[in-house]
Amino acid sequence: MTRDWWKHMVLILGTIIVLAPFYMMVSYSFKSPGEIDRGEGGFFGRQEMMIDPRCAALRQPDRADIEAARARFAGQDDASVQASLLAETEADCSMRPVLFNYSKAFTEAPLIRYLLNGVIVTVSIFLIQIVVALPAAYALSKLKFWGRDAVFGLVLFCLLIPVHAIALPLYIGLAKLGLTNTYAALVVPWTISVFGIFLMRQFFMTVPDDLIDAARMDGMSELAIVWRVMLPTAIPALLAFAIFSVVAHWNDYFWPRIVVTGNRDLFTPPLGLREFKGDGDGSFFGPMMATATVIVTPLIVAFLLAQRRFIEGITLSGMK
Amino acid sequence: MAVVDHSVAGIAKPKPDNRQARAGWGLVAPALTLMALILLVPIIVAAVLSFTNYSLGNPGFDWVGVQNYERLFTRSTYEKMFIATFTYVVTVVPISVGLGLGAALLVHSLGRIGDIYKTIYFLPVMATLLAMAIAWEFMLHPTIGMVNRTLEMACGTWFEALPFFANGCAEGFPLWLGDRDYAIWVVCFIGIWQGFGFNMVLFLAGLTSVHRELYHAAEMDGARSGWERFRLVTWPALGPTTVFVVTISCIRAFQVFDTIEAFWPQGGGPNKSAYVMMFAIFEKGIQQNLIGIGSAITMLFLLFVMFLTLIQRWLVERKVHY
Repeated sequence: MTRDWWKHMVLILGTIIVLAPFYMMVSYSFKSPGEIDRGEGGFFGRQEMMIDPRCAALRQPDRADIEAARARFAGQDDASVQASLLAETEADCSMRPVLFNYSKAFTEAPLIRYLLNGVIVTVSIFLIQIVVALPAAYALSKLKFWGRDAVFGLVLFCLLIPVHAIALPLYIGLAKLGLTNTYAALVVPWTISVFGIFLMRQFFMTVPDDLIDAARMDGMSELAIVWRVMLPTAIPALLAFAIFSVVAHWNDYFWPRIVVTGNRDLFTPPLGLREFKGDGDGSFFGPMMATATVIVTPLIVAFLLAQRRFIEGITLSGMK
Repeated sequence: MAVVDHSVAGIAKPKPDNRQARAGWGLVAPALTLMALILLVPIIVAAVLSFTNYSLGNPGFDWVGVQNYERLFTRSTYEKMFIATFTYVVTVVPISVGLGLGAALLVHSLGRIGDIYKTIYFLPVMATLLAMAIAWEFMLHPTIGMVNRTLEMACGTWFEALPFFANGCAEGFPLWLGDRDYAIWVVCFIGIWQGFGFNMVLFLAGLTSVHRELYHAAEMDGARSGWERFRLVTWPALGPTTVFVVTISCIRAFQVFDTIEAFWPQGGGPNKSAYVMMFAIFEKGIQQNLIGIGSAITMLFLLFVMFLTLIQRWLVERKVHY
């Protein structure tokens, strides 16, 4: 232990740099604009009551409000009625910075909708990938047919093509079909996972043939074998692939940025955050960092809960 | 991905009857169709359009020969694009691979306590890059950012002996993202910050497969120091992993986009110093609707990436194994 101290020093230095932006993101999501500007308040900020400037501006008492409130403050002159009304407004509009930031994150933009879109897109991508890739992987590993090697060769060739790189022609195709700004546009390019086919094929190679022969004896069709025999044996590999796929598409920014323009109803979480940044002024650092925290948290929490599986899934592409 | 097992193909029962053939083609048909439509046809489309002046919304187009490619190699904008892209790749790949390997060796040697570092270093890989880019942007804010505030704390101490601090304390620390001398390096730094944990995990997987006996054998043969053991045993054993890590880092580095777009939605950095290829495809092809030139960049991009992967496969097939 003692002779390892220098290793810990180096690794702790790395830890500080790695965690710094996370620390800042979460810390700013707790702080009031003033504290962010002045750079004070430690990690949690002082959480003093603050007044929401927009709320206060909206509810500035005018002539009519004073007339209406005259009954409540009988016997006072206009100035003192106005003062009492202002005090009420401020009381109504003041809240803790942490509440302010997170409530703004959810009310300034339809963040729930964005998160839901993120879930819809990632889940449909994954399900379609499986529906397409699993039968192909089974055929390529367990069925003998003329042309199989050619198909597998094609799969190996397609592994070379990063989908992001061919975004432009894909975009043109979708635009020609009138599909931009739809869920379909967000999902379609990812429906075919060549990597998924390759991975599942390698996995199916290890499944004993007897299992399949027995199923055939029972009179199962080949398609039924895929879903009722092969799928259950492939759960561990599928889980790893699921993590790989979900992480990639939850975090993806490039493709949604291209095919979704302006239609907020289709925004995925990163797009929503980007828009927030676009129209944010100085006082909105807090709510913006709250949005960022909300978007990053689900995957981080899932990762911390199931580290081994996540690392397996993400580095999957690195294993044979 | 590295090793393809052809030998297993012979195990399947040798009765290629019609029924199996029909089932086989039926099962691969959807995947095959999608592969053709989504991956192969677009490449052909891009290849064709790169020789035209097509724009979305125009009824037709003219053939312009190699004019688009000629522009790529003559205009200064694209020269900046190549410089930015290669600067990024050449910086990020070696450093993130090196740091990944270093971190893996340290973490591996610490045993179970090392796992906590592994978890922490992997966090940036999981986090949405766009969100983290925005967080970094705040960190690097010239006046209220954490980085410059921390640097300012060094003012008045012996740090001022260093030219960088002396200059910074007198005239203010760099603007980072707004400064064309720093912009691309900041982007590189974030690329490394995000990617080295991924490389570390791949190297760790490689390290666990190195046999203990090899170290004993090396020691018998007189490899006493840690460096000797690394040079003689660890490094050769990590050969295949290294090839893979370098390739995947290159491909990922070529595709850098999120940080650039988050920092500079218009124009790719001060004086286009961070105008990388993916951003160029996005700006030219999609925002400005110059499909011809965008397709030409796409073709070059594919060429680079495929070339890299082919080198990797060639290296692996030659067996970089010990």
